[in-house]
Amino acid sequence: MEFFRKTLDPIIALSAIAVLDIFMFLLMGAWTVGGGETMMTGLMAQAVLGDELQRIPFWNVVFPPHADYWKIYISLGMLFGAFVGAVLSKEFYWRVPRHLSEWILITIGGLLMGFGIRLAYICNVSTFFGLMPEMNLGGYLAMSGIVAGAWVGSMIYKKMLEGDV
Amino acid sequence: MTPVVECLVAFLFGSVAGLLMQRSRFCNTAALRDAIMFKTYRNTKAMLVAMMILTIGFTGFMSVGAGHPLQFDVGLNTFAGLFLFGIGMVLAGACTVSTWVKAGEGNIGALWALIFTFVGMFLFSLVWSASWWPPAPQTMTGQVNLPALQLGFANAQTLQDKLGVPAIVFGLVQTALLFALYRGILRRERAQHAEHEKHQKEHQKKKAAKVATVEA
Repeated sequence: MEFFRKTLDPIIALSAIAVLDIFMFLLMGAWTVGGGETMMTGLMAQAVLGDELQRIPFWNVVFPPHADYWKIYISLGMLFGAFVGAVLSKEFYWRVPRHLSEWILITIGGLLMGFGIRLAYICNVSTFFGLMPEMNLGGYLAMSGIVAGAWVGSMIYKKMLEGDV
Repeated sequence: MTPVVECLVAFLFGSVAGLLMQRSRFCNTAALRDAIMFKTYRNTKAMLVAMMILTIGFTGFMSVGAGHPLQFDVGLNTFAGLFLFGIGMVLAGACTVSTWVKAGEGNIGALWALIFTFVGMFLFSLVWSASWWPPAPQTMTGQVNLPALQLGFANAQTLQDKLGVPAIVFGLVQTALLFALYRGILRRERAQHAEHEKHQKEHQKKKAAKVATVEA
C-alpha cells in the first residue's frame, strides 16, 4: 500500500488530525496528552504505594487516580497507532541511545517536561491544538513560555554540539 | 456519553493521530527547534495549518455555544511551566506527542523520556502538596488573583459574552495572523531556495573555469 511506502506530507497529516480534533472538541474536549499522563502517573504511584498515596494531597485534591479517565486512552492510542504504522511500513526496530550523554539529556529533558506540564496544568499539545485555537489567555502565556524555553534549550544544545559544555 | 464510550472514542482518535504522525514524521519539538536552530520549517508549517483549521473550527462552534473548551485559571505558572517544558523537550529530543509515537516505533530513548516525564510529574505532586500553588481547580475563581499570581480565565467565549461579538470574528482575526506568519515562512523558504541555487550556479561556474584552465 502506497500509504505505508511513502512519507506523508505533515501538512496533510496535521490537517486530518485537526478535523478529527474538532470532533473531539464537540464530543469531549480538545486533544491533550498531559492530563492522561498525569493520571497514568497517579495510577502507577497507587500501584506502588497503595494507600500511602493518600498522604500526598495532590492525588486527593487535584488528580484522584481513575482508570476510566478518557485522556489516558488518547496517549495509549497514539502508541498503538504509531506501532501499527511502523510495523506495516517496516520501520519498527529497536533504537537505543548509544552515548551516556544522550541518556543524561533525555533524563533531564523528561523530568523538566513532566514537572513543567504539572506546574502549568497543560502540555504542549493543549497549548497549540487546544488553548490557542480556543483563544484562551493561557494559550498565549503557554506559547510564549514554550518558545522561550525551546530557544534556551536550543542554545544549550547548540553549545553542546560545538563542544563548549 | 458513558466513560467507557469516551475512552473508546479517545483511543480511536489517538490511534489515527499516532498513525498519521508516524507516517508523516511530524514532531512538535522539531516544529520549534528546527525553526530556531536550523531555519527549516517543515513541521512548523504543518503546525500552523492545523492551528488555523482548529481556530476556525473551535471559535465557530463556540459562537453557537457548542464544544467543550478547557476551563481553568491561568497565570505565571502557565508561562513558567511551559518554559521548563520547552527546555526539556529540546534536550530530550521529543515532546508529549513524539515520545508516544517514537516509543511505538521502538525508540527506547523516547520510552526513557516518557518514564522520566512520569517521574517529573510525581516530583511536582510532592512540591504542590507542600506549596499548594498553583491553586487547585476547586479553588479557581476565574478572576484575576494577583497575590496567587493568577490572571483568571478568558477565551473566545468570554470575549463573545463581554463584547457581544461572535467568537468566530476573533477566530478569523487570529487565523489571519497565523496565515501571515505562514506566508512569511513561505517567503523565507523561497529566499533560501534562491540563495541555494545561486551558490550552486557559482560553484558550477568556478568548477568549469578550473577545468578550462587545466585543459589549456
